[in-house]
Amino acid sequence: MHLPSWNVLIQVTIIGILTGGVYALMATGLTLIFGVMRVINIAHGAFLILSAYISYWMFTAYGLDPFLSVMVSVPILFVIGIIFQRYVLSRVKGDPGLGVLLTFAMALTLEGVMGSLWESTGRSIRTAYTSKVYALELSDLTVRLPWVRVGGLVAAAMALAAIFLFLRYTNLGRAIRATIQNRSAAQLMGVNVERVQAMTFGIGLASVAAGGALFSMIWTFNSGSHEEWISKMLSIIVLGGMGSLPGTFLAAIIMGVAESVAAVVMTSYLSPIVFYLILFITLIFRPQGLLGIKVREG
Amino acid sequence: MKSKIWMLMISIALLSLLVTACGGQATTQAPEPAEPAAPTATEAPAATEELATTEEPATTEASAGEPIKIGASLPLTGRMSEPGTAANQGYEVWAAFVNESGGILGRQVELTILDNASDQDTAVADYEKLITVDKVDLVVGPFSSFLVIPTSEVAARYGYAFVEPAGGAPDVFNRGLTNLFFAQPAPGDEQAIPFTEYILALPDDQRPSTFAVVSQDDPFTLGVMDGVKAALTEAGIELVFDEIYAPETTDFSSIAIQVADLDPDLIVGGTQLEDAVGQIRAYQEAGYQPRGAYFTTGPSLPGPFREGVGEATEGVFASISWFPEAEEFQNAEMVAKYVEMFGGEAGDIPEDVANAFTVGQVLQQAIEKTGSVDNAALIEELHQGTYETVVGPLSFDELGQPQGSFMLLQWQGETFVIVGPGDRARGEAIWPKPNW
Repeated sequence: MHLPSWNVLIQVTIIGILTGGVYALMATGLTLIFGVMRVINIAHGAFLILSAYISYWMFTAYGLDPFLSVMVSVPILFVIGIIFQRYVLSRVKGDPGLGVLLTFAMALTLEGVMGSLWESTGRSIRTAYTSKVYALELSDLTVRLPWVRVGGLVAAAMALAAIFLFLRYTNLGRAIRATIQNRSAAQLMGVNVERVQAMTFGIGLASVAAGGALFSMIWTFNSGSHEEWISKMLSIIVLGGMGSLPGTFLAAIIMGVAESVAAVVMTSYLSPIVFYLILFITLIFRPQGLLGIKVREG
Repeated sequence: MKSKIWMLMISIALLSLLVTACGGQATTQAPEPAEPAAPTATEAPAATEELATTEEPATTEASAGEPIKIGASLPLTGRMSEPGTAANQGYEVWAAFVNESGGILGRQVELTILDNASDQDTAVADYEKLITVDKVDLVVGPFSSFLVIPTSEVAARYGYAFVEPAGGAPDVFNRGLTNLFFAQPAPGDEQAIPFTEYILALPDDQRPSTFAVVSQDDPFTLGVMDGVKAALTEAGIELVFDEIYAPETTDFSSIAIQVADLDPDLIVGGTQLEDAVGQIRAYQEAGYQPRGAYFTTGPSLPGPFREGVGEATEGVFASISWFPEAEEFQNAEMVAKYVEMFGGEAGDIPEDVANAFTVGQVLQQAIEKTGSVDNAALIEELHQGTYETVVGPLSFDELGQPQGSFMLLQWQGETFVIVGPGDRARGEAIWPKPNW
């Protein structure tokens, strides 16, 4: 363990916050889906990589910027989500364990399909503004803000705000929130839970599609990368409180900063451990997460 | 609820048991169907093979006209399937090339290649079978140290020469075997020597005074890095930052911010492709401009490296044992034959193909020099001779370590140029590196 200079600490903290914003967008769908369905979507990481590949493919084939290709990948993933929930997942409703197993099978299937389509070489999109930086001069300190990550945070904030407004002010949004709070009560009040579940899965995958587009510009990925990212996203939503959107956002920022700072204070080798360390501590001392609610399940 | 979860757990456990059981069966059976399919690349008719197996082993009596049977077991499936398949292609290209140009000592070459599914036990059993049941004249090695180490013992037990394309770890050479020959230019940990020699030959006023090492945790890259650290620190260049990261790392921003803060003259990366791209992008974002940059692997894969970092390739160094345009012995012929047999472009040919082809070249020249396929004579010859190959001239010491050298490449413009060592250079190196 060694203490780096203040410059370094400030710089890595800022990178951590920017990265955390993208983590938040990536994990939002996972927490929504869990909230409504009580199913952990193990395939979430694979859908993230799939949408990153869609962006990569649109970029290499048509030169379409990833910030624009979301207009293609978001609807595609939305439809895939509805179909997957409606015709596959809903068949095993009432047994969350089987649901998890199904999404795991989906993850493996996607991995195989993507592996055969795009081989195992690590990919990453390099746009004209990749590696470009805003250098912010603050007296004797220069803060370097990479364009892609700033754009990622802004896009993530916009997408999250849209999801938040949707959940707050639309009928379907209210129905989703009601289902998260108490499924049986929502059903008794006339909420079509089947439809809500399908829509939630669609929205969940649509948000991960947006996350995947940003992902494709920041990190390298191949078909096998999803395993590592599903673990990160799970840690985030557990810390945030499963089913809580604001909690996920807060947890994502905390994780982003913790990981980034740990890499310079300890070593980068140990920094991924921080994720799981925080996960253990959360599960021991605050199992409902930061902003989650304690629920008793029979 | 609880009982349901238990049921689920038990069924998962049973399922996984079933899967592994099936997997095990498949592995042991795999060589069977592969066998008849194996000699497809060569023109040896199945009938002659049947005949040959019933005869006495023809290891010493070289009867003209009868094919020379060469066996190998490769990881064609499993985790090493990618390089294993490339090595298979290399062997097939070599056999086809040799057979079309009249064979060796007038005899055609017949390959028998079995699939070991990247499994050590299967690989060992395969070589036992090749030598004792199939009675092949010669064996050649599998892919990677992991499989070379156990299988070379089998070959040693039966007195077979073991020329292998891809096992260069220290453990390959420290078991006292005299039948093993590693057909690459130099052991893995000597890969960066052309680079450190270049740096140390710079005039005093241009020589870097500090350097940083940022390496993936991998026996190969760490070995190369140890060599770099020893050579540079001994010459008085100070190591100011030394970091090892996990192989799955994709985010290098924290590392790059620290490196930028220390601002060493030279950055040395122990990388595969993806992390070389990740590191360079992160250094750009962190505003770090070294005077020289070297990465173990990555820059030597021109297509994906350029795609990953664009013009930031300029001035980057790496080592390489082979590339499609190299003006080495039979290289152009190998490239043409590969494209003819497997399609694609010269730039798509993996280095593993060339390494397997090299094995064939070494064996052929040794057989022609001794005039037989007698393994004892071949082993003796291989310790003495020098062989022309697609990776340059090769000779071996008493442990079978190659006595050649890697080439030093530097990116200049849209591709790389060989800038060392000495007589193999095709251009002048740029120093210091332009900003990325």
